[in-house]
Formats: sequence, structure tokens, C-alpha cells
Amino acid sequence: MPYTVPIGPYHPALDEPYKVTVTCGGERVQDIRVDVGFSFRGIELLAQRRNWVEAVTLIERVCGICSNVHAVTFCTAAEAIAGIEVPPRARYIRTIMYELERMHSHLLWAGAAAECVGFQTLYMETFALRERVMDLLEAIAGNRVHYGMNRIGGVNRDIGDPERVAAEVEAIGAAVERSLVPPFLHDRSVINRTAGVGRLTQDQAIEWGVVGPVARASGLAIDLRRDYPHAAYGDLDFRIVTREDGDVRARVVVRALEFLESVRLIREAVRRMPAGPLRAFEGAPVIPPGEATARSEAPRGEVFYYVASDGGQSPARVKIRTPSFVNIPALEAMCFGQQLSDMTLIQASVDPCMSCTDR
Amino acid sequence: MPATDVTLSRADLVSRLGGIPGSAEVDVRPDGLWMSAPAVDVPAMGRAMTDLGFRLCTMTGLAAGDGETTVIYHWVRADDAVHVKATTRGGALPSLAATVRPASWIEREIHDFFGATFTGHPNLAPLLRPAALKEGFFRDATDPAPPAGK
Repeated sequence: MPYTVPIGPYHPALDEPYKVTVTCGGERVQDIRVDVGFSFRGIELLAQRRNWVEAVTLIERVCGICSNVHAVTFCTAAEAIAGIEVPPRARYIRTIMYELERMHSHLLWAGAAAECVGFQTLYMETFALRERVMDLLEAIAGNRVHYGMNRIGGVNRDIGDPERVAAEVEAIGAAVERSLVPPFLHDRSVINRTAGVGRLTQDQAIEWGVVGPVARASGLAIDLRRDYPHAAYGDLDFRIVTREDGDVRARVVVRALEFLESVRLIREAVRRMPAGPLRAFEGAPVIPPGEATARSEAPRGEVFYYVASDGGQSPARVKIRTPSFVNIPALEAMCFGQQLSDMTLIQASVDPCMSCTDR
Repeated sequence: MPATDVTLSRADLVSRLGGIPGSAEVDVRPDGLWMSAPAVDVPAMGRAMTDLGFRLCTMTGLAAGDGETTVIYHWVRADDAVHVKATTRGGALPSLAATVRPASWIEREIHDFFGATFTGHPNLAPLLRPAALKEGFFRDATDPAPPAGK
């Protein structure tokens, strides 16, 4: 006879609140229901009560992991309405911040995944390396989490010593390649724990509309860094990473290889970064009446913003669609027929962000 | 898997959009094609966009007059995007959830925020709305009635 197991909202594997109600027959999962909204803050509504400068600060707080991508995507939509052209150096700084953010996000996820498979030393090794990325972000921005780098029309501050950033990123990349990639890709216990688990076929990935590493691990070659070049990605030689298997192992492999691609992109961006101004104008922005959308490739996939202005001091409407909002529902397909004991690992493999989802 | 006609030109795409019942003139902008079509046939639009290889990125709710809601359907495909503006009739639009899975959560969210109903949705239960707030609380908060006598 089927029985149900509630997991969350105080989740055993993840630090953010959401609830998964699992229906099982024996040890096999027959159905799941996901409940979200425990971290709802009404940021879209609050943004309509802040001026355009304050709104950037607020929107950066949609997420504590991919904060930069939210600020940039909002600014990009506002810049599109106002016809503001961002200076080339600012576009490169945004790109470097995008990729540093991806590095620390993927390492955070890898650490959580290592803990889920019971590989504690790998978890500690991963977090030690992530700390070096956080130090780098702090050295650039003065903050570990919310960097305050972006403003409408460009960036607030320069990267003072880009060569030093490139050298440290290179060193972190080498350490990841030496210490993390081999166990994540080749360790037998990791493979046994992840291969064939939580599979999402390519057809299912299309059906559920998943994005980011989850989509790419199911064979969908979609990545806005290539498909919809934003910031300075159009100038860089970006190489998309995909895998066909669609299981937890494929999601591990995609993120590991994407980390190394981020290292390469930062190196190239530093080499190509032109001199020049950091912003298109000084002072508060004036955003005329209009509407525009913007998309960026966040660590978890496509972020989408719709922004409308009535010409006033505040946005008239801000709509935010985060990648977790479309990736989390696909857990239903990934979990069907799986072992109950694999539920936490499958959920973690999506890298769900409730802060983003609930906003 | 939907057929993806990646070779479709912008002119062909505009023409295909014009074939959707209830469609309207298409506005070409830097961030894609925009079509303001209040009475668009939503299920037909869903079928057409899916057949063209577009993915439903999300939907945006906007408070319209008389308690109605403008819903923008944002469809994306690589570097292209199509944004279709429909408006609820009697507070409702047909649901896409049965055929376009990513529509399910966003329709629930718009129901939470703006009170719009999506006819045929299998489970239009609250998604993000705190229990203490009523459906449509975005509408109340963004479009307050002026205080009496002022």
C-alpha cells in the first residue's frame, strides 16, 4: 500500500526551506509534490516602491549566491528602456563577476553534493577552494556575497588589479583540476552513487522547460553565453558543455567542466578587457516610459527580467523569473521510480535555490 | 519533441504569428517580437509557439483596468523571443498548463498575485501567497484606491 513521506520544509539536505511530499510503494517513489513559498519576500512588489538606484540594491538580494546576475539583468533591462549603452570595460567587469559568481556557486553545489553522497573529505576540500573564490570576490567588491558592483549604465567600481585576479583564478582552477575533478568524475563510490540516478531524458527536459546545467546534462545545448551573448560574452570564445545521460552524474560532470570553462573565460576576459570609463553617466538614472526584457546565464541557468517604466522615480513593474522556478518542478519527472533513499541527492542535483524561487 | 524550425526567418515568424487566431500587429524591438493581442486564442498560441520550437520562459502579470489582468507570454528560442500580451476576460484566460508544463507554476503565481483565473488548470492552488494575504494582493498594493475626500 502506498505511503507518504514529508521531507521539509526544514530540509535534511539543503539549508533553504521547501517541502517535498513523496508517495512511495515500497522503496520506490511513485509521485512527489513540491511546496514552495516559505521564503516569499515580495521583492517584485517592493521594487516598485524603491527608486531606480535603490531597486538595484534590493534586487541584488533576490539571492545570496547569484546576486550579481540579478543586479546585472535588472540593469540591462532598464538600460534597454533608456537606450543606455554600457561602456566596454564595464561589460567586461560584469562578465568577470558573472564567472566568479559561477565558480563559487558551482563549488558550493559540489560541496553539498559531496556531503549528500557521504564523501565528507571531498566536501571539506571543495569548500576550502570555494573560500578562495569568496576571498577574491571580497578583494574586488569589498563584500563576500552582495557585491554592489552594478548600477544602471555600468559598474560602480573597477577591478583594480585584473592580472592578480586572473592569476588567482588560474591557481584555483589548477587546484580544482588536481583535487576535485578526479574524484567527482572518476571515483568509483561517487559514480556508483550518481550514475543512472534521477534521470531526466532530453524529451523530458524539453517538456519541463528546464535550463542551465540541468538542461545541458540532458543533452540540450542551450546556454545564453553562446545563444544570446550578453555582457562581453560575444567577444569571448565560449565553449558550451553538455552531456547526454541526464542523470545526477551528468549534472556533476557538466558543472565540473563548466567550472574550468569559467577559469578560461576569466583569463580571456582579463586579457581582452579594454581601458575606458566604468559607466555611461554620473548621477541618478532617468528611465523614460517603456518596457523591456533581459536574459542572463546564471550559475543555475537562464534568468529573465521584465521591467516596465512609467517615467517615474520607481519601476512600474519588475518581473523576475529565476532558473530554479522552472528546474524544481522537473523533480517530479526525475524522482519517479527512484529509490526513496536517493531523494535528497536527486533534489540537490538540481541545485535548487528557494531564495530565488520565492523571491 | 517539438519540431524546431531554426531556419525560420524573422519575416516568416511574423507571418506565422499572424496566423494565430486573435493575433494582432507585431512590433519588432531589440529584445524580440511583441504582439499586443488582448483576445488571442491562448491554446492556439501555445501550440503554434511550441511547434515553432519556442520555449515558454515565463509569463508576466500586469494589473489592467476593471479588475482584469494583462498577461504577457514570454516565448524564447536561442537569441529570439516573442512576447504576446493577452488580457483576461471576466478575470480568466485559458490555462496552458495541460500542454505546456512550465505554465503550471507561473499561472499559479499570477493567480496568487493578481487574482487572475486560468481555466482548465489542474490545480490552481496557492504557490507563493502567504496565507494571511488574499489573491490579487499585488493588484491591491500597486493600484490603491485614493483615500476618500482627497
